[in-house]
Amino acid sequence: MIDCDIHPQVGDVEEFLGYVDPAQREWFRGQGPSLGIPGYSWVHPSSWFRADIEQNGHPPASNVDMVRRELLDPSGTEIGILNGDDAVLVSLMPSPYRAAELARAHNEWLRERWLAEEPRLRASILCPAQDPQAAAAEIRRMAEDERFVQVLLCGGADRPYGEPRYLPIFEAAAECGLPVAIHSGGEGMGIAAPPGGAGPVTFYIEWHTLGSACSIMSHLVSLVCHGTFERLPTLKVLLIEGGIAWLPGILWRLDTNWRALRSETPWLERKPSEVAREHVRFSTQPLEHTDGRDETLFEMLEAAGAPDNLCFASDYPHWDFDDPGFMVKRLPEAWRDKVLHENAAELYGERLGLARA
Amino acid sequence: MTAWQDVGSVADLERDGHVIARIDGREVGVVAVGEELRGVRNRCPHHGGPLCLGTVRERVAGEPGHYELGGQSALRCPWHGWEFDPATGRCLDDDSIRVAVYPAKAEGGRVLVDI
Repeated sequence: MIDCDIHPQVGDVEEFLGYVDPAQREWFRGQGPSLGIPGYSWVHPSSWFRADIEQNGHPPASNVDMVRRELLDPSGTEIGILNGDDAVLVSLMPSPYRAAELARAHNEWLRERWLAEEPRLRASILCPAQDPQAAAAEIRRMAEDERFVQVLLCGGADRPYGEPRYLPIFEAAAECGLPVAIHSGGEGMGIAAPPGGAGPVTFYIEWHTLGSACSIMSHLVSLVCHGTFERLPTLKVLLIEGGIAWLPGILWRLDTNWRALRSETPWLERKPSEVAREHVRFSTQPLEHTDGRDETLFEMLEAAGAPDNLCFASDYPHWDFDDPGFMVKRLPEAWRDKVLHENAAELYGERLGLARA
Repeated sequence: MTAWQDVGSVADLERDGHVIARIDGREVGVVAVGEELRGVRNRCPHHGGPLCLGTVRERVAGEPGHYELGGQSALRCPWHGWEFDPATGRCLDDDSIRVAVYPAKAEGGRVLVDI
């Protein structure tokens, strides 16, 4: 099993600050535990985390031992990919200079405190998307370490990622042979656009329902319409934690509009759904509950490319995570090998260090 | 065996960009594509729209972020914007879809189509 979404937490802020450039350390220390990362306006009413794993005064998933004990060992995870948690919101900080330093420090912290400690772990490269040139430089720097298997961007953004100013990020990723993961989160925070598309919402339940799905939809549509995949034919994008039940609908809608509006995007010579099927993968978590209509869900997803475009993710240690054992049972039997292992193995390739079958 | 049918006047074609007549139970139109005339079944295969009331334009092409005129004529359905090659009837975005097209000509001030 390959788990595409595990979130390490910064448990010891002072230890983390040791990875920050001394010339900037005082500024970050002065921001408090948030380290200057934009705070959430919509907050889970009880806890962001599974309540059963907050132990001994440590935040969940704040050290390798905890992740081994709670996730990797019991689920038989062969490879787990670490995605910065709140840290992914560096791209929403008002200062691109602070963001670049925090991203760099986080990458080094992952390298020393996590990857060096546990051979089953791999990590995503954090980068400051608000400064695409700096982001591209950080991608190229970190890509030299094969344990970093993808680039990580957050769903919250001031504009969707197909915008040409973001192109250096995708060019650097493609040049290094790395997929770009876009993880939901941060919608409406810092310099990001409001979540949902109709102005700021009221409740966390609205934010969690709309914010994470709508941002992921927007990036998907934007990347396809701007011809990012025509520019970069080897590029792969993994969309994480935005839900997937909407996928057939948005692709059918996009295909319908493409036929009528193609003069706006004449470089799209194939149906958008075909482009998405070739270049875009989706994490399964949070797989929508269907009130007993799983067969309908899976049939619709097949029309949108499943199971070839789905990769398992647990989202450990968050409250809405998908338990690996539960997911194994829920997925159609014929999908399991692809979703739990093969698709991710193909997406990340040799960087996973897996023996080829 | 040819069967040239009268579809309308050249004056109407020049004024409206199309002429349309019902021939053997089917609506057939003639549109001007530059200096040439093309007969086209006046029924879009997508949704049944009056295809010959659409516009003939040079189709826009280009690499991502750039727009060029690509030299391909397109008859654009006035309903949903689907585009067809007026020479072959092929839908320019879906090879599996075609509209019937016919030879057409102007003669003696009349527009004729060969059904």
